[in-house]
Amino acid sequence: MSRPYRIMIIDDEKIVGDMAKLSLEKDGYEVETFLNAAPALERLKAEQFDIVVTDYKMRGIDGMEVLNTVKRLYPQIKVIMITAFANLDTAIEALRGDVHDFFPKPVKIKELKASIRKALTGAA
Amino acid sequence: MKIEQKIILSNTINVALIVLIGIFAFQNLNNVLAKLRFMEIADELNASFLEMRLSEKNYFLYKDLSALDDIQEMIASTSVKINAVRADITRVIGETDLGLLEDHLANYAASVGEIQKARVTGPEAAAQLRAKGKKLKEFSETITRMEQKRVNDIITGSKKVLAYSFFAVLFLAGVVSHFISQKILRSLRKIENLARSISQGNFHRIEDIRPTDETGTLIDAVNTMSEELSHREEQLVQSKKLASLGILTAGVAHELTNPLNNISMIAQTYAEVYDQLGKEQRIEFMNKVDAETERIREIVKNLLDFAKPQKADLRPADINETVQTAIKFLQNMIDISNVELSQSMAEGLPPVFIDRHQIQQVLVNLITNAVQAMTQGGFLFVGTRYRREAGIVEITIKDSGKGIPPEYVPHIFDPFFSTKGDGGTGLGLSVSYGIIKNHHGDIRVESKVGVGTTFTMELPLYQGKEQTDEQTV
Repeated sequence: MSRPYRIMIIDDEKIVGDMAKLSLEKDGYEVETFLNAAPALERLKAEQFDIVVTDYKMRGIDGMEVLNTVKRLYPQIKVIMITAFANLDTAIEALRGDVHDFFPKPVKIKELKASIRKALTGAA
Repeated sequence: MKIEQKIILSNTINVALIVLIGIFAFQNLNNVLAKLRFMEIADELNASFLEMRLSEKNYFLYKDLSALDDIQEMIASTSVKINAVRADITRVIGETDLGLLEDHLANYAASVGEIQKARVTGPEAAAQLRAKGKKLKEFSETITRMEQKRVNDIITGSKKVLAYSFFAVLFLAGVVSHFISQKILRSLRKIENLARSISQGNFHRIEDIRPTDETGTLIDAVNTMSEELSHREEQLVQSKKLASLGILTAGVAHELTNPLNNISMIAQTYAEVYDQLGKEQRIEFMNKVDAETERIREIVKNLLDFAKPQKADLRPADINETVQTAIKFLQNMIDISNVELSQSMAEGLPPVFIDRHQIQQVLVNLITNAVQAMTQGGFLFVGTRYRREAGIVEITIKDSGKGIPPEYVPHIFDPFFSTKGDGGTGLGLSVSYGIIKNHHGDIRVESKVGVGTTFTMELPLYQGKEQTDEQTV
């Protein structure tokens, strides 16, 4: 039996991480949440993750930078972006950065989970 | 009357005047010519009369009878001559004088006839004849002299009339062109003033009685232009407002999206994990929903505060005191931010007419922004100054922070425009701007990236009258 899939969630809205963690853990994933990108990226050096779910607009390192860093250093990790600033420009920018999926807020957790499953089976 | 018509009219009057003068001069010349013609005739007649007197002398001195025949012959030839030029003479001296002359001549002829018949040579007859001859000559000479004088008079008169008319034409032309050009210049000056005022953004009209000439048409055109510009300006302002509204709605949407997303995620998760939750946890979930709705309520309240007219309770106040109160609120923040505060409060400032709480709010906004712009610490200057000539009190807040990029400067007073990322609502400066404008004051910003930002606030003085008119933002 392989190890459970590990998911990292980065959003400066605490509730997003908390709720996603509750819901995803119920499905058997291991979830870690971060309010800032910097400690999250630090954590990636120590621990292997399969999926990174990140907010687009954050103080300090923003979602696009997270996407680019992850894709550069850990190309096997799939990145899913969620944002309150959903528009065509951010979507295109994210797609160019090889984002796996892109969700405007408010997020439907079922859709998020489906996207995660797809990312994991695609990778498998 | 149109200017063109006025010019034509004045030229016509001048031409008519010149024609009249010409006719007058022509008539005078004709007159003078006629009189000169008469004078030639008169000279001839006078010569004839002189010859008659000479013959007369011959008769009395030498008793030469043929001399009398000569006289009669001369009288006859003179009469013939007079008849030949009767018209010319009448024209100059009139029927009466000619009649008199002819009478004198007839008398003379009769006297000569009598002497011929009686063959008298005595001194009595001689004296009688001489007297008549003398009268005839004298009368003729008098008429000639008079006519000479009249010729002189006519020429002198003509000279005078010509001189006067010259000045009259000159004067008329001068006055009319001066009048017309003055009128044009006055209208042009009005248009010039209007154009200058339009260039300064005041779209007035020229409202006083519109002249009916070409300048009136021009004034109409300029008025139409002014209205059109004013209309365009309104459209421009309207489109700027719409742009602001765009920023505002986008800002509201973003602000609201996060708590909405949170509520949505809480609800979805709640439904999913309901079975595993204890009573406490369920209440905790609902409390989270409540907190998020509170967040939304706060945003909406801010928005309403922003949109809703705010009552300003204007009272005379000491600006230094107001500034000090605001600084006291923020002293702690200033201290922990490693910011060094320097102050320069002018003494003896006249009272300003403000809502103290609103101005405090503005000061708190500006000082907070200044401190937040100095992430590495820095120098904050707060000062007040009385500008007597402008009748205002000036408040300066200067930081040594990161500065505002020039492309952002025009937008910093726009609602929901923020350079602080998620940290700012973008409403602080916008609300501050509204408050200052409502105080009939002004707020300006100067900024240089890497050097710092200076906000300058101008507030009007208390005018002394007890006006507590409640104004709205």
